[in-house]
Amino acid sequence: MKSSPLFFLGLFAALAFSLTALVLGTNAQYGRLAPYVDETQGAAFPQQSPGLAARGHLVYQDLGCAACHTQQVRRADFGSDHARGWGERQSVARDYVFQDRVLLGDARIGPDLTNFGGRAANAGLDASRILAFLHNGQGEMPPYPFLFEVRRVVGQRSPKALTLSGQSDYELMPTPRAEALAAYLLSLKTDYDYPEAKPPAPAAKPPEAPAKPPAAAAPAAKEDEKK
Amino acid sequence: MTTTSSTAIEPEASGIDASTRVPLLLLLGSAILWLVAGGVLALIASIQLHAPQFLSRCPFCTYGHVQAAQETALVYGWGINAGLALSLWLLARLGGAPLRAAGLATIGAGFWNLALSVGLVGIFAGDMTGFAFLQLPAYVQPIMLAAYAAIAVAGVLAWTGRRTAFTFATQWYAVAPLFIFPWVFSVAQVLLLFAPVHGTLQAVVAGWFGQNLGALVLVPFALAAAYYLLPKISGQPVHHYDYTSHAFWVLLFIGGWAGGRHLIGGPVPAWVVTTGIVTSVLLLFHYVVVAVNLAGVFAGRRRTALRFVAVGLLAYLLGGVLDAVTSSRDVAEVTQFTFFSAAQTQLLLQGAVTFMFFGALYYFIPRLAGKPWPSAGLICANFGAALLGLVLNVGGLFVAGWVQGHDLNQAGVGFAAIAAHTRPWLLAATAGQALFLLGSLALAANFARLLCVCAKQRAAELLSPPATLEATVS
Amino acid sequence: MSTSPIDPRLEQAAVSDESLLSAHEKILHEKPDMQGGYSLLPLGLLFFFSGLIFFAGTYLNRFSGGFDALVYNENLKPVKGGAAPVKVDPVAMGKRLFNSGGACVTCHQPTGQGVPGTYPPLAGSEWVQGSPDRVIRIVLFGLQGSVKVRGNDFNAAVMPAFGSTGTFGWSDEKIADVLTYVRQEWGNKAAPITTDQVAAIRTAEASRSKAWTQDELLQIK
Repeated sequence: MKSSPLFFLGLFAALAFSLTALVLGTNAQYGRLAPYVDETQGAAFPQQSPGLAARGHLVYQDLGCAACHTQQVRRADFGSDHARGWGERQSVARDYVFQDRVLLGDARIGPDLTNFGGRAANAGLDASRILAFLHNGQGEMPPYPFLFEVRRVVGQRSPKALTLSGQSDYELMPTPRAEALAAYLLSLKTDYDYPEAKPPAPAAKPPEAPAKPPAAAAPAAKEDEKK
Repeated sequence: MTTTSSTAIEPEASGIDASTRVPLLLLLGSAILWLVAGGVLALIASIQLHAPQFLSRCPFCTYGHVQAAQETALVYGWGINAGLALSLWLLARLGGAPLRAAGLATIGAGFWNLALSVGLVGIFAGDMTGFAFLQLPAYVQPIMLAAYAAIAVAGVLAWTGRRTAFTFATQWYAVAPLFIFPWVFSVAQVLLLFAPVHGTLQAVVAGWFGQNLGALVLVPFALAAAYYLLPKISGQPVHHYDYTSHAFWVLLFIGGWAGGRHLIGGPVPAWVVTTGIVTSVLLLFHYVVVAVNLAGVFAGRRRTALRFVAVGLLAYLLGGVLDAVTSSRDVAEVTQFTFFSAAQTQLLLQGAVTFMFFGALYYFIPRLAGKPWPSAGLICANFGAALLGLVLNVGGLFVAGWVQGHDLNQAGVGFAAIAAHTRPWLLAATAGQALFLLGSLALAANFARLLCVCAKQRAAELLSPPATLEATVS
Repeated sequence: MSTSPIDPRLEQAAVSDESLLSAHEKILHEKPDMQGGYSLLPLGLLFFFSGLIFFAGTYLNRFSGGFDALVYNENLKPVKGGAAPVKVDPVAMGKRLFNSGGACVTCHQPTGQGVPGTYPPLAGSEWVQGSPDRVIRIVLFGLQGSVKVRGNDFNAAVMPAFGSTGTFGWSDEKIADVLTYVRQEWGNKAAPITTDQVAAIRTAEASRSKAWTQDELLQIK
């Protein structure tokens, strides 16, 4: 290539090609994706998580949890996400519109966490048990003892303290970071079935007959799971 | 250029090499230090995968921190420092003129490494951004952008000030990242950190940036070196050189798209993933042409630099085929989110890019420093340990990922069982990382001795004058 | 080509930079001698590249989901003219409304049994399973005074209005949904109520503002 200007034009065009389509194009397509308003419920979904959970999101990012955990559920016929109980529908872009830093994750050394709060509610896991789990670790999950501090018991034991085996003079207190993280984990719920999350199945019948939306079954299923 | 065989041998292009000495030795010294540091961090991360208790008491050394730090140190520390050094040297050599703006490049190199060090400390403190390959805290990234631009200026000036109008493939591959990295880096900074886009658009932009960083910045640096070393050392022109430009433009135009395939099944529009898959397959054309061009590295006598380049080329080609294969949905269903993807990244970074850089470094550092390498044994140690380490690390991760993927797809298999199944392979990967680190230490020791110890003979006295390349059309 | 022994500590350059450049320039500018034979590589590469383009085209055509932003499953095509609005199951919606804070569940309980002596049950209630005109009026305007349900009298509380005369202000669709729900829950077996039925009653009783009494309701069929 002899002509420098043409060469640099080529470089620019090559980069502009992928930039325009992938970055600017997707931004134009769904950069302003808004929450979905459900008239019958009179609410918009997704709903923002409360303050402590938002701080917990920062702790999640700070500790680097996304290195081992994903926060995206794939659809039913792609992997075992649904069979493992990680979610009942595929994660869609609308689920993430209120997150400041979307940490989808790209490794599953530990389970997916998209619906961890929902699962915890069903399994009877509350904040104190999650905190104990964070402190001790389990299997591949490392322990995080630095998220807690050992304090001498003065007067009454704190209601937030974890039990410290073998030492009655001291109690194990979660730091604010640990509490925020636990609150964040418990706030991770998939709370609504958007229309795009459960689209009509491709019609195996003649193309004139539109496929019946299976969304009718979805709220009933969600209802049973929530209550 | 002298072709006389006089006793006072003027080594080829000594003036050019001398002009590049200060910035390049700074870049290369930093690169080798980062290679060792990154190797240590990678070893720690590898240990933590199968021994989560390791360093768990230290709040700075969580797996997330160490993983982010090692990828940053290896990509921004080793990869870009060495790549820039190579790029500047190759452009100066083929441009036929001493390096201009060398002072600016030196300043840039200093700031780059200073900002990177601050950034690494920030990562350990928890300021990492959470985006793969863009983990540096937001407060150092603009400085690094400016530093890179300062270094790149010298390279671009070498291109525009070249003596011949004709440009060789090395020059295209060397100058392209000098433009592309600042562009993609600035776009990523703005759209992810300073005026963030919403929701999963962040994943799309981060994936686009990561793909461009690998395929359009690091790989061209490596290919620039490979395309230069092969004819230079073997004395044969590049085979079928008329297709090299096609391979170059294919890589540039569609290489940046292939990142979408990592988001398969994710909360992004399906077309982003599909275009990623399609371009991963289209890139096979580029790999085929590169293979045809550079097949000469495998033939002929075993020269040091070409040995490294041969391993790097094999890793590169294998990586390209694997990218195309794993982009298909049936395979991705198994390999996504597993160590298999990590292995593919390692194959590209540790295998292809690093080995090609090694080859180039062993070739041109003596010319830069004016002295031959002190120890041949350390060079062999580097090659052997690094090759064995690469095979163990990448091979171990591939098998671990395959096993993990199959286990993940069966709902009944718990994570404890998965950990037990993958443990032996992860141990092999850790052994591989340790060996690779030993190889890097050998390089570092050799380099340190080269700089510090006065050689018995100057390189100039040992180099024989190069002959003329015959333009045989193959 | 250098004949000195290979010393890894200093790799010899076989050719000069200038000749490297000029040789490759010559390669590009000189066409090879084509004496009736075709070199295999250009043909092979051409076929290979064409094959890749063909694959890319068909794959993009089939699996891109119309390049629609809201299509996440590559196997689907986007619905022409936009997707139909989500049709919600009235029973599920009714259950949600029944259980919403401050609404029916507060008094009638999740089991539909009410509280003996205070709130009448809905399970097995002849009012719930009876005439739609009566039960729609009850929900729209409320119920006051004594009411006999399944043989027991309830006089302790007033049922609030859920239509526009009360604080809830539920739409026709909501009232229809909640009635459909209670008419099939807890063993009740009665036909669903439609939005139109509720709308008709609301219009017919537009002038009313008081809650109904049992005697007034028994006048209505």
